[in-house]
Amino acid sequence: MTDKDLTSGSPWTTDAMQKRLKKRYRKEAIFKAVGLSGLLIGLCALAILVISIFTTGLSGFKETRLTIDVYMDPAIIKATPDLDEDARTAHMARVNHRALIRNSLRLEFPDVKSRRDIMALQRLTSNGARDEVRQGLIDDPTIIGKTIPMNLRASSTVDMYIKGQISRDVAQSSRKISDKQLVWLDKLSAEGRIVKGINWEFLSSGDSREPELAGILGAAVGSLLTLLVTLVIAFPIGVATAIYLEEFAPRNKWTDMIEININNLAAVPSIIFGLLGLAIFLNVFNMPRSAPLVGGLTLALMTLPTIIITSRAAIRAVPPSIREAAIGMGASRIQTQLHHVLPLSMPGILTGTIIGMAQALGETAPLLMIGMVAFIVDVPEGILDAATALPVQIFLWADSAERGFMEKTSAAIIVLLFFLVLMNGLAIWMRHKFEKRW
Amino acid sequence: MENTSKAMIEARNVNVYYDDNHAIKNVDLDISSGTVTALIGPSGCGKSTFLRCINRMNDSIPSCRITGSITLDGQDIYDKAIDVVQLRARVGMVFQKPNPFPKSIYDNVAYGPRIHGFARNSAELDEIVFTSLQKSGLWDEVKDRLNTSGTALSGGQQQRLCIARTIAVNPEVILMDEPCSALDPIATAIIEELIEELRSRFAIVIVTHSMQQAARVSQKTAFFHLGEILEFGDTSEIFTNPKVEKTKDYITGRYG
Repeated sequence: MTDKDLTSGSPWTTDAMQKRLKKRYRKEAIFKAVGLSGLLIGLCALAILVISIFTTGLSGFKETRLTIDVYMDPAIIKATPDLDEDARTAHMARVNHRALIRNSLRLEFPDVKSRRDIMALQRLTSNGARDEVRQGLIDDPTIIGKTIPMNLRASSTVDMYIKGQISRDVAQSSRKISDKQLVWLDKLSAEGRIVKGINWEFLSSGDSREPELAGILGAAVGSLLTLLVTLVIAFPIGVATAIYLEEFAPRNKWTDMIEININNLAAVPSIIFGLLGLAIFLNVFNMPRSAPLVGGLTLALMTLPTIIITSRAAIRAVPPSIREAAIGMGASRIQTQLHHVLPLSMPGILTGTIIGMAQALGETAPLLMIGMVAFIVDVPEGILDAATALPVQIFLWADSAERGFMEKTSAAIIVLLFFLVLMNGLAIWMRHKFEKRW
Repeated sequence: MENTSKAMIEARNVNVYYDDNHAIKNVDLDISSGTVTALIGPSGCGKSTFLRCINRMNDSIPSCRITGSITLDGQDIYDKAIDVVQLRARVGMVFQKPNPFPKSIYDNVAYGPRIHGFARNSAELDEIVFTSLQKSGLWDEVKDRLNTSGTALSGGQQQRLCIARTIAVNPEVILMDEPCSALDPIATAIIEELIEELRSRFAIVIVTHSMQQAARVSQKTAFFHLGEILEFGDTSEIFTNPKVEKTKDYITGRYG
């Protein structure tokens, strides 16, 4: 501002100043627009992700069943009436259920004659249909000799056709379902014998080679057990380390080095932790392969830096005046920590822990290294059983050749996202619950 | 001066260093019970540092080194046999900024008695809380809301809560580090009245930047300058007839 400006009136009313003001407002508007568009792009990406996963994945929770009148042929079942319950169950399991279903289907479609066509007819039902017939026989042996209408699970191909994932308009050679099978399905459909419902099996069973029989429970339980081990190991060690480093450790070369290393560990690729777990837990300690125990320990190593860093930040955020007040009252250092610092930093510590756990839940690479990538049908019952985890299950299914696994992959992603949202919700809830103001 | 008893706290030849920084130089000071001793002096002269030596609050600063002796009732407080936790209960402290715990008013006052095991049952604890709050003049204001958070009180009330918390463990000495610097004049006046009442039961050492406050509440005044005590004596004497030129300049506002 020159003297001339000052003498010729207020500098705020000059043209130059007005221009500068306008420029300033324009810059602000541009900045705001850039920020908003960035936010919009992010939201769009999220929306596309969620929509694409849900459109392909939701059908994974549904199933198709065919209502077939099954003739429980005594000639095939060959049950003797004098068996006790255990022996009868064992016998029912050995019955040729496949033949029962085949014969019933032939009764349904009497004009199907050739061996090939009969095979094709049989392939309308899933292999799991045999188990359903067996279970029916075990539950109620009196049905032998009768004709019972049963909702048998359809094969994956039929399931996909009913869900509209296979079009009948393409040439027969380029679809998995034949023209004849389509005719039979049309007949069943016309008779109202194609039943659609929710696939409870998906939520209540383990993995399978057949898409229509594959379930997510095994992987979910595996993930749960793994995370439990991770939490039990990483939380106490992490919090104790954070308190020690923040409140008790002397400041010297050693603690500086430890601090730098912890910060670096948080950025180490997770597969390195997998290699570490493989080398130490499996090769040195000979722990069981594919077990949630080893997975949990490995993920605990990976999660520890996250928990330590967030806990230290939370502890540092407690105002020093609170520590002074406690020490001034004659509280010992441990009492100061346990009575004041820890309760006040708990919301932050818990949030950090849950974020670390959520990260561990989504981790695949380290689990591949310690053998949790195996095909495991049984739902694990303990931390020593062979198991797999949700992200690994997604990886396995995504890699699978069967097209029916496509929707299962997306459905499994939905389950994983559900748990992630649940854990983050828990973190928010805990933060609000334990938060204290001063 | 009505109190002529022997000094409770005797500091002799105290030196404090922060690494190479010589913060307190050869300080001798006697603090008697029944007396309010004011420590005055310009910022950074070592008043607060000295105050924090008396209950060993400086222990938590790793770079801090102390030589000389400070005795409480004839016992060296830097002796290895002294339990620092007990010492801090005997020498309570009120800080510059009110710092109640983010707990209820009741729990704030009960905290000291609880960790030191003063009360055998809840009735005794209630009694301690009641008398402490009454002595600090807060009882009538908070008796209906003992379970609300101590941090919800006003600044002056918070500071009185901190005083109640301190006297709940029945200390011999109360150290106050600029207790009114964050308070308005009315709250300050209430705290000053309170200090006058507490004087009969405790030895009080108060650091203050307000000359008027020092003149109003204290019987003894020590003038700190660059880590040394330039003058120590009866407050009336120091404020009316300072012997050292620097003291005179400081209290008349020409310096500092």
